[in-house]
Amino acid sequence: MSYKKDFPIFKNNRKMVYLDSAATSQKPQVVIDAVNDFFSKYNSNVHRGIYTLSEKAEELYEGTRKKVAGLINAGGASEIIFTGNATEAINLAAFGYFKKFLKKDDIVVLSEMEHHSNVVPWLMLKKSLGIKIYYLPVNEDYRLDHLRLMEQKINFSKVKLISLTHASNVLGTVNPLEEIIPSLKKECTNAKILIDAAQSIPHIPVNVKKMNCDFLAFSSHKMFGPSGVGVLYARQELLEMTDPLFYGGHMIANVDKEKARFLPAPAKFEAGTGKLEGVAGLGAAIDYLNTRDIKVIQKYEHGLTKYTLSRLPKIKNVQLYGSRNFLNRLPVFSFNIGAIHPHDVSEILNRHGVCVRAGHHCAQVLMDACQTAGTVRASLSIYNTKDDVDKLITSIEDVKNVFRLTD
Amino acid sequence: MEDPLYREIILEHWQNPQNYGSVKNPSFDLSDNNPSCGDKIRITGKIKNGKLIDVRFTCQGCAVSKASASILTGQVKGMLITEIIKLKEEDILKNLGVEITPARYNCALLCLRTFQNGLK
Repeated sequence: MSYKKDFPIFKNNRKMVYLDSAATSQKPQVVIDAVNDFFSKYNSNVHRGIYTLSEKAEELYEGTRKKVAGLINAGGASEIIFTGNATEAINLAAFGYFKKFLKKDDIVVLSEMEHHSNVVPWLMLKKSLGIKIYYLPVNEDYRLDHLRLMEQKINFSKVKLISLTHASNVLGTVNPLEEIIPSLKKECTNAKILIDAAQSIPHIPVNVKKMNCDFLAFSSHKMFGPSGVGVLYARQELLEMTDPLFYGGHMIANVDKEKARFLPAPAKFEAGTGKLEGVAGLGAAIDYLNTRDIKVIQKYEHGLTKYTLSRLPKIKNVQLYGSRNFLNRLPVFSFNIGAIHPHDVSEILNRHGVCVRAGHHCAQVLMDACQTAGTVRASLSIYNTKDDVDKLITSIEDVKNVFRLTD
Repeated sequence: MEDPLYREIILEHWQNPQNYGSVKNPSFDLSDNNPSCGDKIRITGKIKNGKLIDVRFTCQGCAVSKASASILTGQVKGMLITEIIKLKEEDILKNLGVEITPARYNCALLCLRTFQNGLK
């Protein structure tokens, strides 16, 4: 199966080896067409337009909401809130729900492998409410050591939230949530569960019922859809208790000079005109994922992961930050080469057309845990091939040559 | 083919930076970082009669920022502080003797900016 032909960027950049999909994915033609079609065939504002064109636009918008609900197995489309991105989705949960219910000395459990988007909102609540944060550590195989929580001398009834990433954007580690969540919930019976699925959703099945989570966040642009659209899933009764972060148009049931009443979810959280073309594109991205079948994608990517793990860590002077076991692992590879700074590595890789990311990857808590200031990250997706991995490997040899690192 | 950026001068200063370390009992102790990449630099120095008589730096950064700090600290030792403050960014880029692309300006100028912001 060749997925590459589905993505026109590779026709326009024939020599490019794109290894930065954890930052953003490339877009298949069907998604580009859907955005284009929205503007050229259906452009009009959704909701309240009593004319055919607007009805069609609304069908696309609300149709995508249903597709999202289907993709993650939500209870219904009203549990799907469109936001600007995954960061905004987590902020909505943090400041719309948890800020209302968390109290001083309540505990929020995160992990050391969280993206800043799932750290900083809770640090803000720590500052304003006096909550405590416990970080589940990462073990020597770069996996989550969730049982360490049980060794802590804390009042487990105070744990009100466990907020974890489904997969690490740096290590590639996939957290087996179907095991981790029930095991933590045994002690932390009062805890709500929030899952950051931004990294996992283009690679592996994401099922909110199986994960038994209360909130889930992800972004369209990492799953082959347009940027500017994110999703917050939350169980219906939680959404009823959540306050909006923005107030104004569309969300309103009734307004007079003194007060306003809001529509129920999802409208309550979507003040103002949404990213209409982006949502249409997300719908096409979900269709694409469904046509390609996430299970087939997963198998293909296992092959890429296995192959990369058979080559990359074997290069002398390369230090890999991530498990060498391909199971429960995304094709995301963070590494350093000797003492060469990640920026210098990526600059030379770029000379070979190899696009990687360098730095802390918005995961400074993890960088500290790994005792490094930054890494080079090669993150693969369905359009990558073993040839791309080979190109990475030979380019790394060139980095070593330029920096006179001898074997 | 020689690399356009990682030439002898950059690699030499990267491997053997001049003035690396810290000055004892310094007159100033400046730290700064490059928020786009997290690179960090610390510069310590001694001033006598308005003149910089000793300067040393440590950094956690790329070859470009380390080499430019190594070259710049060598250049400013002995200069009047008032002269250091007047140094121009484009001259520092030229002094490196290699082609610096805009994406790496922040790396090449971290040391100078730390000096100038701190000594003003």
